[in-house]
Amino acid sequence: MEYLLEVKNLTKRFGGLVAVNKVSMEIKEGEVVGLLGDNGAGKSTLIKMISGVHRPDEGQIFFKGKEVKIDSTRKALSIGIETLYQDLSLAENLNVYSNIFLGREKLKKILKFINVLDHDYMHKESKKVLDRLEIEIPSLRNRIRVLSGGQRQAVAISRSIYWDAKLLIMDEPTAALGVAEQKKVLELVLKLKSQGIGIIIISHQLYDVFSVADRLVIMRRGEKVGERNIKETNPDEVVSLIVGAEKVKQ
Amino acid sequence: MKKPGSSLILNYNISTTIAFIAIVVFFIIFTPNHLFIDIRNLVSIGTLMPDLGIVALGIGMLMICGEFDLSIPSLIPLCSYVFAILLMKGINPALALVILLPLGAVLGFINGIIVVKTGLPSFIITLSTMMFWKGVIFSLSHMAPISITKYINPHPYFEKMLIGTIGKLPIQTIWFVGVAIILGLLLHFNKFGNWIFATGSNKEAARAMGINTNMVKTTCYIIIGILCVFAGTMQSVRLGSFNATQGIGFEMKAIAAVVVGGISLRGGIGNMLNIFLGILIIKVLENGLILMRAPVFGIDAFIGLALVLFAIINNFIQRRLA
Repeated sequence: MEYLLEVKNLTKRFGGLVAVNKVSMEIKEGEVVGLLGDNGAGKSTLIKMISGVHRPDEGQIFFKGKEVKIDSTRKALSIGIETLYQDLSLAENLNVYSNIFLGREKLKKILKFINVLDHDYMHKESKKVLDRLEIEIPSLRNRIRVLSGGQRQAVAISRSIYWDAKLLIMDEPTAALGVAEQKKVLELVLKLKSQGIGIIIISHQLYDVFSVADRLVIMRRGEKVGERNIKETNPDEVVSLIVGAEKVKQ
Repeated sequence: MKKPGSSLILNYNISTTIAFIAIVVFFIIFTPNHLFIDIRNLVSIGTLMPDLGIVALGIGMLMICGEFDLSIPSLIPLCSYVFAILLMKGINPALALVILLPLGAVLGFINGIIVVKTGLPSFIITLSTMMFWKGVIFSLSHMAPISITKYINPHPYFEKMLIGTIGKLPIQTIWFVGVAIILGLLLHFNKFGNWIFATGSNKEAARAMGINTNMVKTTCYIIIGILCVFAGTMQSVRLGSFNATQGIGFEMKAIAAVVVGGISLRGGIGNMLNIFLGILIIKVLENGLILMRAPVFGIDAFIGLALVLFAIINNFIQRRLA
């Protein structure tokens, strides 16, 4: 079967430091892959290469079987790779629908030549996508800063869905959320999975990863040290891979 | 045109409006013979205010995207100097103004590109460019004023266009309001405005959504450069000469006006209407206090007090909102 995303031997160096060393991984449609590792293991650098923030020094990226050069975040977005950063993906002082349309604002013409923001359209479309994902936000005209952490995460997720994400990368989606909200976000992940979206989750919370992921990729010191099917492993084994207590079994 | 949800409404800060009305009412009542409301006084405010006001509008927009520009008191005389030189070379003043616009844009671009490429605080960078250009302009001009009256007089239309009056209404006021409207449309009704808010509010988020935040910031600097051309030319035509100290102190007054207008120094918050009112408040305060016979050289003390008061009030309001 064709992979949604396949990366081969990706390498990134920052000066003398090799942040990511020849890492290969792949993900299918409708699959959830957990990307695990200690701080500084290279997880973030790896996903930043996929989302266009960093350019790889070596290696290839294939999206739907075709090799792609992802040289900017815009490029990644345009082919359907959306990334949710930990706490960083929303502008707090803009309202909900402006955030959903941030960088891709819908304009309309007044007096036939002046482009202005089409608030009604953006509001209506945002409402639609939130409804589709059964996300409740009191008012889309509210600024992001008045929303709870879970609501923010939901807004960020619905933005990527609205823009037709094929692959969703989530960096610590449940960090800084209350327990009930964590559960909601995880339910949302499963819902997206059932719609055929491929999802990469970075998380320190093993429980979260085990409850939604199909497969785990574990990194340590810039290298991939293991890959496990969720059904064939357990948290203990995964922890020992993360900290390097166990011999590498590729 | 106003729609709830647009950044114009969301960032509207009622305190500026209340303060403005309160100050105006106060001066109307307490200035001797109600001089404040005298038509001659209003005309004088309308004539003098746009010098600072036009540039301060641009500064407000820049501060919403989280940066400062201290270089304006050097850019204004620099533009004014080049304007005088062009006139001396026999160039038509309208053409000279058109030639100057790209120069202003380049000056702004230099500020912007250094700020975004070095990633250093714009406070330091524009402080440096301010001093650099000040040195250049002082040594080029030897600080001697250059009279331009004889070059302007043969072109009454040019003079009318910049500093004339319609009835009693000074043209400068119309330019000032016009610039405020254009920047207001840009900031609140155009996608570029959204990008400014996003850049000031969360640069990383804006960048992750494919917004070129460096371009957004640089563009704001370029706009200020162009506004400096405008203010500098307008002022020198009104004064009838180039003067090396044109625009002195504007950098801080602009920031003061913008802060009074409720713009957060951290960026991401602001509203063109409030900036406009903030500029009015600073100017009305100056004017009213002078009319009330406050010592002219002590006016800054009152402005300073007002500024601190506004900063406290705005901070309080923003905390209540958060």
